[in-house]
This record gives sequence, structure tokens and C-alpha cells, in this order.
Amino acid sequence: MNKTGTHAFVNQLLVYTLVMICFSGSIGLGTVWMQQQIARTSNSIKQLETRAGELERRRGEITSEIASEESPTVLENKNQKLRLGLVQPKEHQIERIYEQPERRLAAKRNSELLTSGSPVSSRLRYVAGGAR
Amino acid sequence: MSKGFASNYRIVLLAAGVLCLFGGVATRLVFLHVIDRDKLVRNVEQARRQVQIENARRGDIVDTRGHILATSRTMLELGVDPQALRKGDEAKWPVLARLIGISPAELTKIFNTKVRTVDALDPEAENQVIRWTRLREEITESLYAQIEALGIKGVYGNRAYRRTYPQNRLAAHVIGYLNKENVAATGVEAFCDMYLRGQNGWRESEKDGHQREMAQFRSREVPATDGFTVMLSIDSVVQSWVEEELDTIAQEFHPDKATIIVSEARTGFLLAMGNYPTFNLNEFNKAPMEAQKNYAVASQIDPGSTFKIVAASGAINEGLVTPATRFDCSQPVVEYKGKPRRLIEDDHLWDHPLSVAEIISRSSNRGAALLAMRMGDQRFYDYARAFGFGQFTGFPFGGEINGALNPPNKWSGSDITRIPAGYSVSATPLQIHYAMGVIASGGELLRPQIIRDIRYPSGETVFRFGTHSVRRVISPKTAQEMAFCLQGVATAEGTAGNAAIEGYQVAGKTGTAQKLIDGRYSEKDHVGSFTGFLPASAPRVVITVIVDNGKPANKQPAYGGKVAVPSFKRLAEKLIPYLDIKPAEFPAVPPLLALKGAQP
Repeated sequence: MNKTGTHAFVNQLLVYTLVMICFSGSIGLGTVWMQQQIARTSNSIKQLETRAGELERRRGEITSEIASEESPTVLENKNQKLRLGLVQPKEHQIERIYEQPERRLAAKRNSELLTSGSPVSSRLRYVAGGAR
Repeated sequence: MSKGFASNYRIVLLAAGVLCLFGGVATRLVFLHVIDRDKLVRNVEQARRQVQIENARRGDIVDTRGHILATSRTMLELGVDPQALRKGDEAKWPVLARLIGISPAELTKIFNTKVRTVDALDPEAENQVIRWTRLREEITESLYAQIEALGIKGVYGNRAYRRTYPQNRLAAHVIGYLNKENVAATGVEAFCDMYLRGQNGWRESEKDGHQREMAQFRSREVPATDGFTVMLSIDSVVQSWVEEELDTIAQEFHPDKATIIVSEARTGFLLAMGNYPTFNLNEFNKAPMEAQKNYAVASQIDPGSTFKIVAASGAINEGLVTPATRFDCSQPVVEYKGKPRRLIEDDHLWDHPLSVAEIISRSSNRGAALLAMRMGDQRFYDYARAFGFGQFTGFPFGGEINGALNPPNKWSGSDITRIPAGYSVSATPLQIHYAMGVIASGGELLRPQIIRDIRYPSGETVFRFGTHSVRRVISPKTAQEMAFCLQGVATAEGTAGNAAIEGYQVAGKTGTAQKLIDGRYSEKDHVGSFTGFLPASAPRVVITVIVDNGKPANKQPAYGGKVAVPSFKRLAEKLIPYLDIKPAEFPAVPPLLALKGAQP
């Protein structure tokens, strides 16, 4: 009885050990897989960062080139080279408006209201509890 | 119950074996993690740990309309490791040579030079293996992309931020530059370095055997903070006109130096500041130091007749005279403090006593001296100081000097006759400009402002600079009366009739000072100047043109009216439509009308 019990216990121990080994192995493999995924994702992020850096650098270069092309001296030279004939307006070509546009628009609106045949009104509809 | 496959003997053997294995592993672990831990950790850290610096991008300098004046871009230093070159890439070498602008023969020579002789005189000395030879210093990103596409092994670039100035020489003395060591040397670059430079970031991680970062082991990361953007009050369009005018002055009059300053009358913000000679910011290392000096703040001249505004303003402000008060300017000698004083001669003989307005418009030296005498030494000196002479304006960079204005106890007997006419006193062009600015601003001495605001790279404002009034010098009424007097200068009877612009009230003052050479005032070397503003009744801009030792054709004297006024007028005519300067004061706007037929 005692001998049989020992064997059974040892057998159970072996089974549990194997199960544990399998379980630990699975966890180990899972961890390795997870690490692999982390590495892959990290590298992918790194590549994206590198790409973003490249684009940022390219943007800086283009911004600088645009700024050069927009400089008054370059524009002036292009005006002459392409014979565009662009010049500053002379004083006699400038018409200054000393009136506020809001005032003109308000006067126009008032004029329309006051010259129409019938008095201005709109039909009101009362709704219990207020209109929604 | 089954006995299973295991006998007692086998089980014990297996258990002992497993225990031994575990024991072995455990022992090894104890060695690795306890006994040799420090040494191993040190080795691992040395071999794998790395700290990468992430460079912050230096902020941009932009003009008042957002046009970039200074920016940072990455550039690459292209080089080759001759040891790494492959035979199969040789066909691509001529293409590379064409891309980087050197001859194929030269490139082949560089590529084939694989060792360097350490000591030519010592035949025993071993040659040094070359692992890096520079091919070209500054390669753009787009060009580097083309070079990379060739796929020549061993050819690679080292990336670094480089400061570039897209508008080359524009506002060179104001913007300043970063030297070859990337240290801010002058101008706004140096003054605003704290805002511009940003903060480098860093990243701690591990690397593999090929020295490549293993991103999964990044432990700590501090991102770089890019520098702020500095917005100047300089307008690049106005600045370019100023520099065109300086070119014209240089061509026509061949001066030693010249300066033009343009500022907003009411705020003191500078719209342009240019000097001749100047230099290209992208090639600062080729420019002589003389060309790099900001004459507007770092040189002093006798202001000449532009200084007469001090005596006239002071006397009017003190209620001693009005613009209509007349003085006999025909007498060469007058008595002052019980002693006869000889006055500086005027260019013309006056057939009638001159009013204060005429003293200004006709630039009478004697009249200015008589005005100062009426004020007295101390009071005249106090006004000169109040106008900013003999003091720093507060311009923050460029090596500003404060000029020279001695106190009355150090004056000689003739100084009361000379100083009011702008002699025996020295001032920087900026001081002369802001002294005129006192009248244009309505009586306040404004501090020169060059920086409008500091911004985040994303565009939000961090700090905005505003108008800074140093002190009130004269009352608004006096300023108005002086503006009226100064209008007379730009008329047919004044000294700058050619400054008049049809439909506009131009106020200003010419100045012509003989240069002090070897202790004597030269008859042929002059500093010609004109400082003025418009419109006189509601000033918008102040413009100052100073030409040092101009040489007009036919050996004419370089009077301010000759060498400076034409530039003032051309600039003013360009600024009128650009800044929408209206000929007369804008009428007050009545309230909105609500009824038909109502009249304002």
C-alpha cells in the first residue's frame, strides 16, 4: 500500500512537472513572442520617426528655398527678367475711400426698407411653450 | 493501482539528474547575478548602453510680415571610407562626381587613395589607413537623396543643422549670424540666443553588435524642444528699398559709409536699418570687419544742422519764443554772459530778422545759437540730454556707443555758439533719428524697438514687446509747432525743397557737418544728412538718411540736400502706398445712420 502510494505520488509529481514544464515553456515562448512583437513594433516606430525626421528635414529645405524665392530682391529681378512690368501704384492711381463700408451697407439696407410700398412686417406665430 | 513505468531506482536516478541540472543552472545563476554581477553589468553597459542626443532645431527669425530672415536646415558633410568601396560600384563614380560638382579624375584619385603617409621622411613609419575623406562640405537633403539612390557603398554623409539666411545680405547688421562653431556671434542671433537655441533632447537605449539602436530597449527619453521664433519689426520690403537706396548712394556719391533708418513714428518700432558697406550673411567669413560694423549704432558723427531742433524745441517748450518770434541773425558777434561771442557764419546773408520757423527752414547757425543763448547753458544742455544725445538709446546689440555731449562746466567759451548748430557734439545716426522721432511721436523720446514678439514654433505668441517711452521731452503742442516749422524745410524757401511730395506734408531737417580730420574741420569732407517724417500733421514714419563723406559729381560739396534728400524722397514715395499713408488726416467717422435721408 505504502509502496503503491509512493509510486502514485511520484507519477503524479512527474505529470505535474511535465505540465509545469509545458506551462513554463508556453509562458517562455509567449514572452519571447511578445518580446519579438515589441522589438518589431519598436523598430517600426523607429522607422516612422526616421521617416518623419526626413520629411521634417525636407520641409526645412523647401521652406528655406521658398523664403529665398520670396525675397524682394529675387522678385524684383524676376519682374525685370520676365518683363512683367509690375510697378508700385502711383498716388494718382489710388482712390481712397474715407467712408466706412458698414455705414454704406446700413444706409443701403435702410433705404430698401423705407422705400418699399408696404410697411415692413412679418407674420408671427405663437406657439405654446415657445418655438423650438 | 498501476506501478507506472518507473522503478524506484530509475526515479531516484532521474530525480538526482534533474536536481543536478537545476543545481548547475542555479550555481551558474548565482555566479552571473551575485558574484560576477558588477563586472558583467559594467561590460554589458559599456557594450550595449547608449545615450543619443537629439538636437533641437534653432528657431527662425522672421520679419514683421512673417517672411523668413534666418532659418535652420540640415546639411550634410559628404565623405567616403575608401576601405569600404566595392569594385562593382566604379561605374557609378562619374555620376557621383557630376552630382557633387568635382571632376571624375579627382574623385577617382580620392577613392583610390587608401592610405596616408604619416612621415614622408621616415621610411620605417607605417602608413595610416584612411577611413574618412571629405568629398563636399555642404550637401542639401535632396542632393543627398540622389547620392544615396546611387547605392555606392562607403559613401555617406554626416548630418548637422546649418543656419541659412535666405535673403542673403538683407538686414545683415540687424540679424547677425552664427559662426562656424554654431555660436551666435552678432545681432539678433546673439541677443535672442536664449530664445532661439532651444533645448537638446536625449534618449537612453541599447545597441546591437552593429552599433544599431535596439529600439525595444529604450528606457528613458527626453524630447528636444525646438527654439522659439523671433519676429522682428523689420519689414523686408522696406528693408530691401533701403538697401537699394544705399546702393544708389554708393554708386552716385562713393561715400565712406552711409546709413538709412526707417521707423514707425508713434511706436518707435524700426521698419528698416541699413548700412553701407554691408555683407552677405551666408558668406560672413569673407566679409571684412569694417563691412560688419553697424554704423547706425556704433559710429558717431557731428550731427550738424539736424541738431538745431533741440534749441528750437527747447525754447518753444519753455515758452521763451514762439515760431513767429524773430531774431536778428545778421550780427557776427553777440554778447553772452557779459562776453562777446563770435557766431558761426551762415551760408546766406539775411535781409530781415528771421523767425524761429525760418531759422529752422533756412538752417541758420546764428539763429540756433541765439535760441540756445536765450535758454542758457544748463537748460539747453538738459534739453539735448532729454532728446537722447550723449546717452545710449537702448538698442540692444551692435555695440552701441553713446556719442559725446559734454556738460556745461566742460564747455569752452565758443561751445554755446557751436553746439546748437551740431558741432562740438557727437551722435550716432540712431540718436539723430530718435531725436527727430521725439517731434514725430508728439513729444516723447521712444526707445528703439526691433523685436515685435517671441513665438512658439507652432505660431502662438509667448511674449509681445510694446512701445516703450523713455520720457516726455516736449509737450504735444510744442511738437505740433515744431512739425509745422519743419515743414518749411521741404519747401522752395527751405534747405530741402527737393524733399517735397505733392499732396503730402513732409517735415524734416537737413544736416551738413564738416568732418573733423586731424583736429581741423575739413572744407571738403562732409557728413550730409536728412531726417524727417510724414505726414507732418499725423506722422506715420520717420526716415533718416546719413551719408558720410559723399563725393558728388563735379566736386560739389556733399550737402545733406544733395546727397541725402533724394533718397529720403524716393523712399517716402515708395512707403506712401505700401503703408497706406494718407495725404491728410483721416476724417472722424460719424455713427452709423439708421434712417433714410439722414445726413452725417
